[in-house]
Amino acid sequence: MPKTMAKELSSEQVIEKPSEAIKNDALTRTIDHFKREWQIYLMLLPTIIWFVVFLYKPMYGLQIAFKDYSIFKGVANSPWVGFEHFETLFTNDQFLRAVQNTIEISALNLLFGFPAPIILALMFNEILHASYKRTAQTIVYLPHFISSVIIAGIVITAFSPSAGIVNTVMGWLGLDPIYFLTQPEWFRPIFVGTGIWQEAGFGSIVFLAAIAGVNPSLYESAVVDGANRWQMMWRITIPSIMPTILIMLIIRIGNIMEVSFELVILLYQPSTYSTADVVNTWVYRQGLQSGQYDLAAAAGLFNAVVAFVLVIVANTLSRRLSRTSLW
Amino acid sequence: MAGVTLSRIVKAYGSLEVVHGIDLDVKEREFVVLVGPSGCGKSTTLRMIAGLEEITGGELSIDGRYVNRVAPKDRDVAMVFQNYALYPHLNVAENMAFGLRIRRTPKAEIKKAIAETAEILGLTEYLHRRPADLSGGQRQRVAMGRAIVRHPKVFLFDEPLSNLDAKLRTQMRAEIKRLHNRLNATSIYVTHDQVEAMTLADRIVVMNDGIIEQIGAPMELFNNPANTFVAGFLGSPPMNQMKGQLTENGAKIGGAEIKVDGMVGNHIGRDVIVGVRPEHAVLKAGKDTSVLPIDLDLVEPLGSEALLHAHHGEDNMVFKAETKGDIGHLSGVSEVHVPASLVKIFDAESGRALDLGA
Repeated sequence: MPKTMAKELSSEQVIEKPSEAIKNDALTRTIDHFKREWQIYLMLLPTIIWFVVFLYKPMYGLQIAFKDYSIFKGVANSPWVGFEHFETLFTNDQFLRAVQNTIEISALNLLFGFPAPIILALMFNEILHASYKRTAQTIVYLPHFISSVIIAGIVITAFSPSAGIVNTVMGWLGLDPIYFLTQPEWFRPIFVGTGIWQEAGFGSIVFLAAIAGVNPSLYESAVVDGANRWQMMWRITIPSIMPTILIMLIIRIGNIMEVSFELVILLYQPSTYSTADVVNTWVYRQGLQSGQYDLAAAAGLFNAVVAFVLVIVANTLSRRLSRTSLW
Repeated sequence: MAGVTLSRIVKAYGSLEVVHGIDLDVKEREFVVLVGPSGCGKSTTLRMIAGLEEITGGELSIDGRYVNRVAPKDRDVAMVFQNYALYPHLNVAENMAFGLRIRRTPKAEIKKAIAETAEILGLTEYLHRRPADLSGGQRQRVAMGRAIVRHPKVFLFDEPLSNLDAKLRTQMRAEIKRLHNRLNATSIYVTHDQVEAMTLADRIVVMNDGIIEQIGAPMELFNNPANTFVAGFLGSPPMNQMKGQLTENGAKIGGAEIKVDGMVGNHIGRDVIVGVRPEHAVLKAGKDTSVLPIDLDLVEPLGSEALLHAHHGEDNMVFKAETKGDIGHLSGVSEVHVPASLVKIFDAESGRALDLGA
């Protein structure tokens, strides 16, 4: 074909391709994409439905935090009261105590509960005997699969003053029995410890996976350079899994206001409210037990906003400091 | 600096033996290249020298000291890995300092050693960068720098250039050679690339299936391969190997008969492999050449020369010819001329080179 003809043809094509055609192209591509990958979207669907039904649709009800809600009038018809419920909250000693407890328990959880799975993963990584390693891992994973109700039952039994193993051992040592679960000062250590027992093993899987992803030649190179196992752990393993640690920390900080609600409900009692009552349990008692739905919604909203801000702050800090972030 | 001696070194994984008792004596300051196809045991041998793999049998000594059971760190060797093995969380200077810091070398000394090494490798301006911000060639240099700063007795290289593109590989190859001339350190280098082996080595060790096929200087191996494996491994393209039979006048290949230097005498009638390097056959008859008729299949122009793919009977072969700027005159080629002095004869059964006393 002569060159001039080819030129004419191509210029014609360019002219004949208005924006509509381009739009159609994009549409066709999108349709083709869905036709090709529909199975993947289908697999995504249940999660999206779950999110919409249990997390997005209930947001409609959030407005009662700003309303004088009455179940007879319904969400839409209850009158607006502005920030009245929030004012009530911040003058309520019990709520302020619950906020403080939440923060303090979370801080303890972060301090002791966050490093626990990392340390476990590092320890597992050092076990060379394969079947011993598998057995040990299975044993520490198990509590995760046990319902919190049973976990709480085990804890209550273990710490019981009459038959509990803890008091029995203390008895052998000549110590007086303590009714641990009625003492406010004992609630937090028991609660945090239970949390670690229940979740540290399962949590270590994420870190073990990160460790498995470290390039083995880094260790070989270090061996030739003369590093011992301790040095390899500190200088290679930990820095290599630092991005994972930071991501998990961001998620953890985002959940700071979400102290394991079930476990608190199961382990606390009025005598330990002073150290055990957290925002979520307070919301539960106010909202569901006393029927003050609007006040409880305000408290829950406050909780969520704080958590949201915390995630954003943690993510920004992490991105600035370590180039690692969730988004 | 020190020599490395392997005697009857064996490596087995369970009942599977992968290195079958090899002997090798690497002299002080020598650059020895272990070359062979994948799975020939070359990397395993290197890793045994480094101490990363346990030695199943035999003796390994470095600088005259028996080191079979000595920990890697006490062998005083440094290793450069194929994938660089740089610590992603440390910058270039910290990466190079790693080995020294582990050994608690004084800070001032570390600083000095890094500055010197960075200077040699042209890394001075990158000292504060992380590996992720470096190019492949720069990463490779850092990996070498990490070995150099330690002033080890022996350098071990495990396919250090195989992750680089062809151009960079050529460049780094020359750099390694220059570096070796400068440092004069005993080096053992593993590669599957025969060009790297030829260009870098003082001596090449050709390995195959866990044994050493031949040890020698690059040109010695090229000119006098001990067997068909070495002949087929070194050289690009490799030596043509044709089935034949020795006769009074030389070697008979299919319908052709080519002259061979030396005394065929008591080998007459023996089945042999006749080896001719692609670049040794010429298109015009010369002194003492014999004609080998060929059926030309394909001409591949490379620029100044072209590859002629052809066959003679059942044997496929490749020859090199000058193009002189045009390949037109090559399409009609129907025979090549083989100089008697450059023909190699191997025993057909054992594959070993036949000494005809030429």
